[in-house]
Amino acid sequence: MASSTEETIKDSTGDGAQNPETKEDEKKDDSMFECNICLDTARDAVVSMCGHLFCWPCLHQWLETRPNRQVCPVCKAAISKEKVVPLYGRGSTKQEDPREKVPPRPAGQRTEPEPGTNFSGFGFGDNSFHMSFGIGAFPFGFFTSTFNIGEPRPHAAPHGTQQHMEEQFLSKIFLWLAILFLTWLLMA
Amino acid sequence: MANIAAQRIKREFKEVIKSEEVAKCAIKVELLNDSYTELKGEIAGPPDTPYEGGNFVLEIRVPETYPFNPPKVRFITKIWHPNISSVTGAICLDILKDQWAAAMTLRTVLLSLQALLSAAEPDDPQDAVVARQYKENLEMFKLTAKHWTNAYAGGPFVNTDCDEKIKRLIDMGIEEHQARVALSSYNWDLERATEQLFS
Ligand SMILES: [Zn+2]
Ligand SMILES: [Zn+2]
Repeated sequence: MASSTEETIKDSTGDGAQNPETKEDEKKDDSMFECNICLDTARDAVVSMCGHLFCWPCLHQWLETRPNRQVCPVCKAAISKEKVVPLYGRGSTKQEDPREKVPPRPAGQRTEPEPGTNFSGFGFGDNSFHMSFGIGAFPFGFFTSTFNIGEPRPHAAPHGTQQHMEEQFLSKIFLWLAILFLTWLLMA
Repeated sequence: MANIAAQRIKREFKEVIKSEEVAKCAIKVELLNDSYTELKGEIAGPPDTPYEGGNFVLEIRVPETYPFNPPKVRFITKIWHPNISSVTGAICLDILKDQWAAAMTLRTVLLSLQALLSAAEPDDPQDAVVARQYKENLEMFKLTAKHWTNAYAGGPFVNTDCDEKIKRLIDMGIEEHQARVALSSYNWDLERATEQLFS
């Protein structure tokens, strides 16, 4: 369903001159999902912390154009490549236009669900492998991840992709760091 | 990617001609070529300003790097304003320079220019002579701006005193626009304007 809607969107906005009248109403609804830079339906969509939607290639080019002034093209809030969130719609796995020139979209920041003590769960905890959160909550991260062994857990990135490899690599580093840290704790 | 400029102007163009400002005749955009790189803009002088009743034509050039870089805009209609060159029509406005943002459109640019006509910024001038007059003699500035609006933008305000002085200079063999510039620059002091023209 998602993909068929997407096609309709592309039809109505893609080469407008063909049938502008019939799809006028649809177009109005879809304008919510238009990229603020190219004004087309956002492809490889990302959203800034201030909530503004862009195609990743469009936003990337904007940030490249003004490396010294990284602001949101809509509201001029501070913005950075690291702090945009990609949007994954249902149809988004079969993107046809990866645009080789542009680097891959930044990955979603995925945190692990809280396991163990509280099974009803608060949904998402802070105890992830991710570099940004990992160091502060470090020993926790280690223990919870040990408890996690054997439990099936959904992966943020599909196997074999660059991102997956990186995640694997990171988790190994963390494991080693954890062992070092514990050794240090025991010694002290 | 290279074609993003044309694609976007196409979309914007459709959007702007449907906008309420166009319906109110406050702004207008016209395509000048098929490649969407040259357009003609028009803004109405805002009410309660010396530009009221005038219609100001703008040259809009869309660079290949649009919308990542701003369009190049200048006034074709001659105008007396501290932030617009009375000679070239060049505009000093931050959003057309370093404050440009990729989400801005032709519509927002035209509306910003209209706002500039309502609120001049004499401390960041494009035309030093006009800016000085604005700061030192605001009433004289308003009179001059109104006169220019009448002479070049079809404004309704007629100042017979200005027109007579210009006619005097024309009779001396001075071209009309040159006469207007000299008189405007010297606060409509005919003697000093004549002196400057013949020195
Ligand atoms: Zn876009
Ligand atoms: Zn924003």
